[in-house]
Amino acid sequence: MKIFFWIITCGLLFSSCKKWLDVKPESQISKDELFNTPSGFQEALNGVYSRCTQDDIYGEELSMGTLEVLAQNYTMPAQDKMGYLQTSLYNYKDPYFIARKDSMWKGLYNAIVNCNLILENVETHKSMLSAVDYALIKGESLGLRAYLHFDALRIFAPSFGNNPTAGGVPYVTDFSNTVTPMSTVTQVLTKVIRDLIDAKTILKPVDPILNAGYIAGYPGDKDDPETASPTLFQQNRRHRLNYYAVCGSLARAYLYMNKKDSALSNAMEVIGSGKFPWTKTADFISADAQTVDRILYKELVFAWYIPSKTAEIVYLFEGGPVSFYIESNAGNTLYETGGVGGEDLRFKQWMKPVTDVSGSRYELQKYIQDKDKNRHPLMAPALRLSEMYYIASECTYDTDPLKATSLVDSVRFRRGINTKLTVTSKDEFLGELVKEARKEFYGEGQLFYMYKRLGRSIIGLSGLGIPATNKVFVLPLPNDEIEYGNRN
Amino acid sequence: MIFTLLCKAARRWQPAEAKTILVMKLTTMLLLAGCLQLSAAGLAQKVSVTGENIPLKKVFREVRRQTGYSFFYNARLLENAHTVNIDAKGMDLQELLDQCFRDQPLSYAIVGRTVVVRPRRDESPTTPSPAPLLDTAPARIWISGRVLDESNNVPVSGANIVIKGTQTGTVSGKEGDFRIGINPGEVLVISFVGYKSMEVRPAGVAPLTVRLRTNKDPLAGMVITGYQVINKESFTGNSTTVSGEELKKVNPQNVLQGIQIFDPSFSIAVNNLSGSNPNSLPVINVRGSTALPSGNGDVLSRTSLASNVNLPTFILDGFEVSLEKVYDMDINRIQSITLLKDAAATAIYGSRAANGVLVVTTKAPREGKLQVYYNYELNTTTPDLSDYHLLNAREKLDYEVLADLYTRVGGISQDDQDVRYFQKYKNVLSGVNTYWLSQPVRTTFGHKHSLYLEGGSNSIRYGVDLRYQTAPGVMKGSTRDRYSLGMDLAYNPNKTFLFKNVLTVNQVNSRESPYGAFSDYARMNPYFPKTDTAGNIIQAPDSWLIDTHQSGSGQYVTDVALNPLYNATLHSFNKGSYLELIDAFSGEWNIAKGLRLRSLLSYTKKKTDYNTFISPLANEFYFYPTSLLSKRGSYNYTTYDESTFDGNITLNYNRQIGDHYINVLLGSNVRTYSFDAKSFTAIGFTNDRFTNIGFANSFPDQSSPAGALSRERLFGTLLGINYSLKNRYLLDINLRADGSSKFGTDSKIANFWAVGLGWNVHKEDFMRQYRAISQLRFRVSTGLTGSVQFPPYLSKTTYTYYSTNWYSTGVGAGVISYGNETLQWQRTRESDAGFDLGLFKDRLIISPRYYYKITNGLLADINLPPSSGFLFYKANLGDMANRGYELGLKYTVISNRNWTVNVFANLVRNTNKILKISNALKAYNDKADQAQQNNDSLRAAPLLRYHEGQSLNTIYAVRSLGIDPENGQEIFIKRNGSHTYTWDVKDIVPVADATPKVTGSFGTSVSFRRFQLNANFFTILGGKSYNQTLVDRVENADPRYNVDRRVLTDRWKKPGDHAFFKDIRDLGTSNLSDRFVQNDNQLSLQSVYLSYDCSSLFYSRMGMKNLRLAFTMNDVFHWSSMKIERGTDYPFARSFTFSVQTSF
Repeated sequence: MKIFFWIITCGLLFSSCKKWLDVKPESQISKDELFNTPSGFQEALNGVYSRCTQDDIYGEELSMGTLEVLAQNYTMPAQDKMGYLQTSLYNYKDPYFIARKDSMWKGLYNAIVNCNLILENVETHKSMLSAVDYALIKGESLGLRAYLHFDALRIFAPSFGNNPTAGGVPYVTDFSNTVTPMSTVTQVLTKVIRDLIDAKTILKPVDPILNAGYIAGYPGDKDDPETASPTLFQQNRRHRLNYYAVCGSLARAYLYMNKKDSALSNAMEVIGSGKFPWTKTADFISADAQTVDRILYKELVFAWYIPSKTAEIVYLFEGGPVSFYIESNAGNTLYETGGVGGEDLRFKQWMKPVTDVSGSRYELQKYIQDKDKNRHPLMAPALRLSEMYYIASECTYDTDPLKATSLVDSVRFRRGINTKLTVTSKDEFLGELVKEARKEFYGEGQLFYMYKRLGRSIIGLSGLGIPATNKVFVLPLPNDEIEYGNRN
Repeated sequence: MIFTLLCKAARRWQPAEAKTILVMKLTTMLLLAGCLQLSAAGLAQKVSVTGENIPLKKVFREVRRQTGYSFFYNARLLENAHTVNIDAKGMDLQELLDQCFRDQPLSYAIVGRTVVVRPRRDESPTTPSPAPLLDTAPARIWISGRVLDESNNVPVSGANIVIKGTQTGTVSGKEGDFRIGINPGEVLVISFVGYKSMEVRPAGVAPLTVRLRTNKDPLAGMVITGYQVINKESFTGNSTTVSGEELKKVNPQNVLQGIQIFDPSFSIAVNNLSGSNPNSLPVINVRGSTALPSGNGDVLSRTSLASNVNLPTFILDGFEVSLEKVYDMDINRIQSITLLKDAAATAIYGSRAANGVLVVTTKAPREGKLQVYYNYELNTTTPDLSDYHLLNAREKLDYEVLADLYTRVGGISQDDQDVRYFQKYKNVLSGVNTYWLSQPVRTTFGHKHSLYLEGGSNSIRYGVDLRYQTAPGVMKGSTRDRYSLGMDLAYNPNKTFLFKNVLTVNQVNSRESPYGAFSDYARMNPYFPKTDTAGNIIQAPDSWLIDTHQSGSGQYVTDVALNPLYNATLHSFNKGSYLELIDAFSGEWNIAKGLRLRSLLSYTKKKTDYNTFISPLANEFYFYPTSLLSKRGSYNYTTYDESTFDGNITLNYNRQIGDHYINVLLGSNVRTYSFDAKSFTAIGFTNDRFTNIGFANSFPDQSSPAGALSRERLFGTLLGINYSLKNRYLLDINLRADGSSKFGTDSKIANFWAVGLGWNVHKEDFMRQYRAISQLRFRVSTGLTGSVQFPPYLSKTTYTYYSTNWYSTGVGAGVISYGNETLQWQRTRESDAGFDLGLFKDRLIISPRYYYKITNGLLADINLPPSSGFLFYKANLGDMANRGYELGLKYTVISNRNWTVNVFANLVRNTNKILKISNALKAYNDKADQAQQNNDSLRAAPLLRYHEGQSLNTIYAVRSLGIDPENGQEIFIKRNGSHTYTWDVKDIVPVADATPKVTGSFGTSVSFRRFQLNANFFTILGGKSYNQTLVDRVENADPRYNVDRRVLTDRWKKPGDHAFFKDIRDLGTSNLSDRFVQNDNQLSLQSVYLSYDCSSLFYSRMGMKNLRLAFTMNDVFHWSSMKIERGTDYPFARSFTFSVQTSF
C-alpha cells in the first residue's frame, strides 16, 4: 500500500504544479513577463513609438503618403507605379486606397492598444518604477493615446465644425477583446483633451525638457542637453511626446474644438518656453552635408525618429517621375515664387528642380539624408514650433488681427519672406494662413487636417479647388471595423 | 535426415552391456501380450509417498506396495541414482515416476504392470550411451498419426516427430501422416517451423491426431495500448494490430503505407504534388478531420491543402515520437503496430487522443545463444509516367499554329514570325522530338542491410541492431539515406525486477533533386533540342513576345523559355540531415502476484540541418539586371534543435478471482518538448564552384536572421480499468486528467474519460447449439478525448521586440497577439459500436463498425474590429462532426494440405460535416471570393471554403452547362438559375463533395507449400474531384509550352463542334466551373508479395537457421476514372524489392 501512497503523492505534486505548465515563450515575451521589470515598461513605451514609425502610419502614410496625396501636394503621373492616382481623385473605392486607409486605422489602434497595455499595468507596478520613469511612462502613454485617437478622428470622422454630434471613432481605453462603442466627435475631443491634460499634469514635475538648460540642439553639438542624460530612456525628449508636445497637441485639439482661448494659452506656452530656437539660415541652406539642417531640426517640438527609412525616402521622392514630385508650375505657384516667395528659403532648399522626359518638376529634399554625415537623424515632423505660431495667430485674429498677422510674419521672416502679411478679411487671412502652412508643412501630412477643420476647399495643383465635402474629408471606416464592430 | 540420425544411433548401440539386453529381451517376450493392453486406466493408479532424500529403491518398494506394479531393473544401475525428495498425496503413478526420474541418469517405461528401469540415453549424439537396440527393444510399439494445423485442419507435412529426450524420430509425410516406433511411456515432441512445438504421450496404439498451433507472435490476440497489454477478447476498445512481419509483406519500404491496407481508417492523403518523393512526409488522419486547417488566413487552394492538424499521436515503446521518426524506422525492428481508434482505446492519452493513437513496439531481445539475423533488400524504383499524355513535336507545332501564335505581334512582323515558325519546323523535320519527361528521372537501386544480434542468459539479454538503407528517388539526385544503430539491454537479477535500456542512434541524410520541379519538364516543347550542336545545354532555347492587351509600356512582354535541365548542370543543392539520439530506460518491479510497478524514462535529442544553395548561374537569376549581378546566388542555412523528455510511471494490478477478471492501471506521465530553430540566408556568390556559405557576399536587403524557440509541457494522470465477468461481459473504464502548457491560464487541467461495454456472446452456454458461430462479440463505447495540436503560447498575450529597428531612446517591444486566457483543448466526443462475427471456426470473420465523432470547441480565429488593436484572436468556436462506417471481412477460401487461400477486404466511409464556424472563417469565404475575383491565377482553382452544413471536402464552383457549340464559349448557370456567358464569383455554389463513398483495401494471400503470395489492392470509389489537369494543361494551357494531348483533340475549333473544352484560339483564363468536376474512382495494386522459404536441406549446409527469399512490388498499377497528371512536382514511382532474410 506504500506504493499507492507514493503514486498519489507524486500525482498531487504534479497536478498542483500549475506553474510548471506555465511555459514562457522565449523568442517573444509574454505580457506578464515584460511588465515585470522597469526596463520592460521602457521597452513597451519605446515600442509604441517604434510602432508609430511604421509605414502604415507616421512612417509614411500619415506623414508623406496618403494624407499629402489627399491634400493635393503631389503631381500624379499617368504611370501609377505607387498606386496613389485614384487616391488623389478621392476614389474611395480604389483597392490601393482601401488597403492603405484600412491599415492606417489598424496601425493607429494597434499603437493605442500598446498604450492601453502600459496604462493597465503601470499602476500596479508603480512601486517598481522610479518616480521619473513612472511619470514619463504614464504621462506619455496617456498623451500618445490621445494623440493617436485625435488623428483617427481627424481622418475618419467629420470635423467638429462640420458636425460635432456626428459619430466619430471609438475611444478605446482598455485592453480587451470586446467592442468599444462609438463616441461622437465632441465626446472623442473631450476625451482627447482630458487625457492630454492628465498627461500634462503628470509630466510637468519630471520631464527633463523642463530643466533650465534643456534647449533643443543638434546631437553632435558639444554639451547637447538632449543627449546628456546618462539613461538612454531620458534622452531626446523631442523624439517622444514631451511636455511641450502635449501642450502643442492640446492647442491643436482645442482649436479643432473651436476653444480658442485654451488653444492660444497652450500654443503660447510652447512659444514662450524658449526651448525651440529658430534654425539659422546658414544651417538651413548650407551646402555642406555635415552642417545642413533640412528638416529645421531644432524647431521640432515633437517628431518621429525614422532613420531606418532613409533608403525608402529615396524611393519615395527621388525615384524619377513615378515617385512623389510636384510639377514645376504647380511648385512655383505653391511657393509664390513670382510674388512674395521669390526668396523663400524653403523653396530653395526643399524644391530640387529636375528636368527629364516627363518635363520639369521639383523633387522634395526635406527628408533627404546624406550617408553617415548628417547633423540630425532622419525625423518625421509631428509638431513644429511654426504650427504653434499659426495656431496662436488664428486664435488672436478675432480679437487682434494685427497681432495675428505679426505672428505669421515672424515665421515668414525666418523663412526668407520679408513682405509683411496684409489682409482685409478673416477669409483672406485664413487663405493666407493655409498657403503659409502648405509651404511650411509640405510633405508632413498636416494640410489635410487644416482644410478639413476650416471646411475650406482643397487647392488643386491645377489651381482649381476641390469642394469641401465630407465625401472628401471623411475617409470610410474599414469594412472589418463595420462588420465586426457592428458600426453603422 | 532424421532417419539417418536414427540409423546412426542404432549402430552406436552395439557396445551396450549384453547382460541388460538379454534381460530385456526376455521380459519383452514375456510381456508382449501385456504391452498391447497398455491403457490409461492402468496409469491412473494413485500413489502417496512423502519424504526427503529417499533412495529410489525405497520409492519402488513403496509403489509396489501401494499399486502392485513390479519393477524390473539392473541393480548396478541404481548405484548412480540420486535420492529424491517427494511429497505426493494421491498422485498419479506416472507423475510420480516422472518426478523421480527427472534428474536421474535413468529412464523408465511401463510395460503392463511392470516398470522397466534403464539407463537414460544421452542427448548428445556424439557420446554413445546405452539404449535398447530398436529392432530388439522389448516394449516397442508402433504409433501412427497425422499432424494438422489447428486453425484450419490442414495437414502439416515435414513436421518433425521426435521421441522426447532422444534423437530418434521421423518426419510427417504429404498428408501429415507419420509412423514411429516408441517404447511405452515415451513422449513424442512434434515441431515444425511456424508452429509451437507440442508434446504428446501416446495412449495406446490408437492413431494420434496432433493439432499444431501456429507459432504467431506472442502478442497476437493482444492489444498494446502503450501503457499495457490487454487481451483482445476482453477489450472493448476499437483497434487494429498488425505485426511488423505482416507490414513488411505489404510494403518493405514504407511502414506507414502498409497500415492503410490493414485499416483504411488510417488515411494517407494522396499527394499529387510530391508523388513518390522519398523526402516528403505523408499527411495522415484517422477517422476524418477533427480540426480545421488553422493557417495564416491565406487563401487555401484545395490541392495545396497540406495541414497536419489532424495527425494521430505516435507512441514508440511507451513514449511519444514524431511522424518522421516512424517514417524513418527500420521495418525489421518493428514487432507490432497497433492503431487505437475509438475513445475507449485512446482515452488514456487524453488531450492527445482525438485523432487516434498509433502504438509501435519494437522487438525485444530473447535469451539464448547468440543469434544473428540478417536482412538484405534490393529496392528498384522506376518512374510511373503513364498519366502523362503530351503532344509530340509535330503535333505541338500544329497546335501553335491553330492557337494563332505565328501572327504579327508588336514589333515582330509576319515575316519574322514565319521565319521563327519554319526554324522550328526544320527542327521537327530533322527529327527533333525530345522526350523531356525522361530527362530528370531515372531507375534507382536502393540497398538495405539490417543486422540484428540477440542473446544472453536468463538474467541478462542483449540485442544490437545495425542498419544501412539508401532510398534514392526517381528524380535524379534525390535521396533519403538512413543509418541506425541500436543497443538493447535487459537485466533481470531475479523474478521481481527487470531493467531495460534501449539506446538508438539514427542518422538520416536527405537530398532534393537538383533537377527542380518535374512540372517544368512536362511543359518543355518537344521540338527543342536538349543541347546545341556542340553538346552544351541551352539555357534559354526560345522566347515569345506576348501581347497582354494592356495599355502603355506594359502591353508587350517577353516570355523566355528557360531550360530546367540547365539548373541540373550547376552545383546547386538542397539537402538536409538529422542526427537523432534516443535513450529509453525502464524498470519493472513485480511487487506481488499480479501487482507490477513500471516506469519508463526516455530522452530524445534531434538535430536537423538544412542547406540550400542556389548557384548564381541558375535560371532563377537569369533575369537579374546587370546592376544586381553581385547579388546572384543564395544560400540558406536552417537548423532545428529538438529535445524531448517523456516519462511515465504505471502501477498495474491484474487478478482473477473466480469468474471475475480485473486489470487496473494507474499511472501518470510527463512530457516536455523544446524546439529551437535558427535560419539565415546569404546572397551573392561569385561563381558556381564555391558553394560554401563563406563565399557569400552579403545578406539580402532588409533581411535578418530568423529564429524561434518554443516549449511544450504536458502532464497527465490516468486510470484504466478493464474488467470481465466469466470472460463474457466486458467493461472498460478510462479516465485521464491532462495539464498542458498550451491551455489558457484559466483552464490548465482537462479531464477525459471513456467507457466501453462488450459481450462475448459465443462464450454463452446457449450458443453451443449454434456450432457455425465460432465468435460473436458486441462492443460499444463512448468517451471524450482532446486534441492540442496547435502552436504553443496561443493563450498568452505576447510581445515581440523591434530588434532591427531601435527607437532613439532604446529598443521597443510591441504587442503582437491577443492571448485568450480561456483557451481550451478541442473536445472530441466519440461513440463507437460494432460486432465481430466469426463463422465456421472463424473461417469467415465479419466485423462491422459504426462511429460518430463530434468535435466541440474547434480552435478558430475570431475576428475583431481593428479598433480593438488586434485583427483576430484564437478561441474555441466551431463544431464539426464525423460519421463513419467500417467493415472488415476475412475469409479462408481453401485450406488444405498444400494450399491456403485467404481473402480479405477492409472498407471504410467517413463523412464530415461542419456544424458551426466562427466569423473569421465566414470572412475567409469572402476573402476567397475576393481573391478569386481579383487574382487570375486563383480563378481556375477550387479554393477551400467553409459553410455550416457542408463538408470540409465540399468543392465550390460555378455551375456550367458546358461549351456552346455555336461559339466555343462556356455557358454558366447563375444562382437564380438563368444562363450567362459571364463568370461571376457570386455564382459560386457547392457543386460536389469530394468525400468518397468507399475507401478500401482488399486482397488475398495464398500459400502453397513453401511459397507465399500476397496481393493487396486499394480503392477509392464514389468521390468527386476537380480535375486540375484539364484546367491547367488543356483548357488554360499555355500554347507556348507543351500541353496535354486533349488540347488538340478535344477543344472547340469551329461552330457546331460539341467540345468539352473551349475554343482552341482562346488564350484567356477559364474560370472555376463544375465542368471540371469529375467522378474520381481509383483502383491501385498497392503490393504484390512473393516469398519462398528455402528447405532446410539447402540452408543448413550454409550454417543458417532459416532462409527466406521474397520479392515485393509496390504501386505497380494504378487506374483512375479521372485522367489526371499525377505527381506534378515529383513523379510517382513503381517500386520492386527483393529481399533475403536469414538467421544464424
